Amino acid sequence: MKSFAHVNARSVDEAIQLLTKYNGRAKLNAGGTDLIGVLKDRILPGYPEAIINIKTIPGLGTLEKGEDSVSIGALTPLVNLIESPFIEKNYPLLQEAAKTVASPQVRNMATVGGNICQDTRCWYYRYPDQIGGIIECFRKGKKGCPAVAGDNRYHAIMGAAKCYAVCPSDIAVALIALGATLTIAGAEGSRTIPLEDFYTPLGNVLAPEEMIKAIRIRKPFPSTKQTFLKFTIRKPIDFAVVSVASNITIEQRICTRARIVLGAVAPTPVRAFAAEDFLKGKELCEEIAVEAAALALAGAKPLSKNAYKIEIAKTLVKEAILSKIK
Amino acid sequence: MTNYRFIGKSTQRKDALDIVTGKAKFINDFTLPDMLYGKVLRSPLPHANIKSIDVTEAKSFPGVKAVLTYKDVPDWMAGSAPQHVRILDSKVRYVGEAVALVAAETEDIGAEALRLIKVEYESLPAVYDVEEATQPDAPQLYEKFPRNILPQGIRVFGLHPLQEVVIGDIEKGLEDADFVIEGTCSYENIPNPMPPESPAVIAAWEGPDTLNVWLGSQGPHIVKVALEKWMGSINIRSVGYSVGASYGSKYMSWQYTMPAAALAQATGRPVKLSYGKAEHLAAFTVRLGSRIHGKVGIKKDGTVTFLSGDWLVNTGAFSEASQAMVAVGCGEAQLILRCPNWSFKPKVVCTNRTASGQVRGFGGQELKCALLPILALGMEKAGIDPVDFFKRNYVKPGEGYYWRDGEWWVCEGIDYTKAIEKGAETFGWKEKWKGWLKPTSVKGAKRRGVGVGIHGNADAGEDVSEAFVRLETNGTAIIYCGLPEHGTGQRTNICKMVAEILQIPLDRVSVTPADSLVNPVEIGPVGSRGTYAIGSAVIAAAEDAKEQLFEKVARNLKVKPEDLETLDGMVYVKGKPEARISWGKGMNYSGTCLGRGRFESDFSKPNFMMIFTEVEVDTTTGKIDLIRVVGATDVGQIIDPLCLTNQLDGCLGSAGIDSALFEEAVLDTRLGRIMNLNMIDYKWRTFAELPEMEHVILETPFSTHRFHAIGVGEITPSPGPPAVLMAVSNAIGVWMHDYPLTPDKVLSSLGKIAATKRGERA
Repeated sequence: MKSFAHVNARSVDEAIQLLTKYNGRAKLNAGGTDLIGVLKDRILPGYPEAIINIKTIPGLGTLEKGEDSVSIGALTPLVNLIESPFIEKNYPLLQEAAKTVASPQVRNMATVGGNICQDTRCWYYRYPDQIGGIIECFRKGKKGCPAVAGDNRYHAIMGAAKCYAVCPSDIAVALIALGATLTIAGAEGSRTIPLEDFYTPLGNVLAPEEMIKAIRIRKPFPSTKQTFLKFTIRKPIDFAVVSVASNITIEQRICTRARIVLGAVAPTPVRAFAAEDFLKGKELCEEIAVEAAALALAGAKPLSKNAYKIEIAKTLVKEAILSKIK
Repeated sequence: MTNYRFIGKSTQRKDALDIVTGKAKFINDFTLPDMLYGKVLRSPLPHANIKSIDVTEAKSFPGVKAVLTYKDVPDWMAGSAPQHVRILDSKVRYVGEAVALVAAETEDIGAEALRLIKVEYESLPAVYDVEEATQPDAPQLYEKFPRNILPQGIRVFGLHPLQEVVIGDIEKGLEDADFVIEGTCSYENIPNPMPPESPAVIAAWEGPDTLNVWLGSQGPHIVKVALEKWMGSINIRSVGYSVGASYGSKYMSWQYTMPAAALAQATGRPVKLSYGKAEHLAAFTVRLGSRIHGKVGIKKDGTVTFLSGDWLVNTGAFSEASQAMVAVGCGEAQLILRCPNWSFKPKVVCTNRTASGQVRGFGGQELKCALLPILALGMEKAGIDPVDFFKRNYVKPGEGYYWRDGEWWVCEGIDYTKAIEKGAETFGWKEKWKGWLKPTSVKGAKRRGVGVGIHGNADAGEDVSEAFVRLETNGTAIIYCGLPEHGTGQRTNICKMVAEILQIPLDRVSVTPADSLVNPVEIGPVGSRGTYAIGSAVIAAAEDAKEQLFEKVARNLKVKPEDLETLDGMVYVKGKPEARISWGKGMNYSGTCLGRGRFESDFSKPNFMMIFTEVEVDTTTGKIDLIRVVGATDVGQIIDPLCLTNQLDGCLGSAGIDSALFEEAVLDTRLGRIMNLNMIDYKWRTFAELPEMEHVILETPFSTHRFHAIGVGEITPSPGPPAVLMAVSNAIGVWMHDYPLTPDKVLSSLGKIAATKRGERA
């Protein structure tokens, strides 16, 4: 691995100052489970001059329970989401999603903020430099997406234009279904945005000198049922081939609110608005679920080798809608 | 059955505590004074000529001690056969092939220096498909291999190695057949056996003509033999370490040892060359690609009347030992099929991807994976249950086969019918088998199916082994044997054999390091030969040593040697417990007894493995779960129960059963690159998802050696992939012939998605 400066930030302000100073040539490091691989394989054309360690910032790794919401510090390790009785009770889908991430060792290290900000797993993008050099692509500032005519079994089936890599975060899919917002710190102070507005086709809206401080989730509506489902080739370790999170409110057997989010199908997590609208006012049953699943995937346009993801996504959406209905 | 003191009993492996406490030394734990680190610049192109290469900047980078290109490496040639692989060449033939070598003070310096080397390539068209590669206008990898076909008739095993199976008369077979079926099946996902420890070596020269190498090879002695053959008249000392598994792949090991030797020669210092995981996945040897266009004649009663076909073997950018693997595969085909008429013709072909090499199953697994599904089409036509078919067809004592040496061998092993029957019974085959392409059960979208595969190898008694056993005056014994510990526990097992013969506690027997300077010839624990071949040499050495001791003591006590017996370091006159003398006294406390043992090839005793599998297929997602695996074998005599079941559990992983489900190297044929170069994208089953497993192990004595045992370690995965293919086909009611059975293929076979070709938009 190439050398770089390593700086321990003691406060969010200091981290922001360092980011400003390095002006795009520094990377934040929390758990390191994503970044270290990126650096070791030197997959990006540039290489950071500095790594800013934010684990040394106090107070960013806790759950703070408020009246009508909870704030999750960006440095909260995923294992804490799994082991928190509060999360289990109020946001079971977030706990379910955290449980599916990687392996116990990774979940001990990896943080919520890091999971949200992790880079894509596209194997063209991630191709290691040491085996004949990296693969250039649109995401790296060059032309073309090699996945389109290549092996695109894990790539986007919707919402992609020039880059067909998918957003790999399971936690983001779960949090968007819960309507979470992000508190982002920057040189000009803090701002708050809905997580579903965070992602862009090539990454996210963070400016070079910004960082995520916390994730806020409002109190769940009464009588909601939450489900997180993830299809993988292997149960542990794997990133999602498709994931689905659903957060559905049912009052007197009728669906009054629905949020359905698909993961790993597009460059960003995808809200299935058409399916959500369709479900409102309906009593959930197999037929309705099948129809909603078809609506959720209505815009899908598969590449040469990933049409199967549509079938899997439909199955997962249907199962998510029907699960936990007694 | 004999009641042994150690044989067949559970004993702790001698290295067990060291391994679980992290004390065991692997090659990467080891350094030499003044040692440098080697790094490899790897090709970005699948096929290209190097037009120019400029290393000036890399050479002057601080800490760099040598930079080598094709212009300045020794002209050592490797590969089999004939030799065709240079350490560095002016032409590259796969993405990841070595273009330049650097030796530096640290790995990081070496890695930085690689980036300073400037190479200009003249890109050439590449070919990946085994049949396209043999077309007249196909890109040609080597001048000496027209149409990319490796020559036949090469002396890989003696003067007349087996090159094809041609027996009887196909026309006659056609006449006799009630059904003739034709089919093509491919096992071309080139799984990487992926031992946890990647290849690594330290090379150091002593003067111009002596090279020392330390490495984690499965056969350190064969490394010496191979390098001495290919590097000219030099002496080589090879020392083996604990091996972080090999699964056959880290055997001859010249692919990484010769570059390290070249760097050590150029710098005059020891050089360690250690592959990273991505290098291991991209630029080390994988399984052979195997495709069979076959034709089978079968009678209504299940008798096979003929087998004809072409076996197209894709060896990638070079052949490590592919013709030898094909020879063994051809022999093994005959073990599972009693058939009077054969015309089965292999062709070994080079293509522009990382090379294929030795992996457990050695040609036979690759063959079975493509052949059994074609035979299954015939069984379906004839309405024959595959278990009955295999029972009828597996070689029995008195039946013969051409083996890899081209000789006709007659089976002197045992009849495996009982093992097959016991395996089927344990699995519940009769209850679960509903007929061809019929599921065992259907529950909503989930469909279960069962399948079975078979494999056997007559190499369990292959090649020469030599060993010495030295009795010490303090009642201990040392085995001199070039056997490395590659994970099976075999080093402890040979101690058990010697302890049993000498009747001394197990902790009084030790084995020398696998150092070629110390030990006689030992090609290593490959082809399941550890138990029979290596065991026989060690047993003979122990018997010889004991005889020498008894002769000395007999003179002393004025009795005959045959009147003596020994227990725990004392020699007794039989029936007179008071007449005893210690080993030390018996040897007069001066000198030792050094016994010698030698084993010569015996291909008359095939081993056997059958695997039954049950799978569950989710027809909405295409997901396949491996529910249950039952393995059945007969080993003559168990040496160590846990070591044996560990080998049988090893049917999972290491390019075994799961190469039917998800183990594969994903090759992008536009770029020539393997895309899944990490252990997230390269799928290996984890311990969190083990299927239910059961092993049926019978012990019918073999006429092998004193303990009547035979090895099976090498073959345990090989029946697995076709068994899974059969089980999935039965579950969903459609033949599937395309390894690995990923969800897209299942959904496409079920007609739920359109089958699309690479590069097309759906």
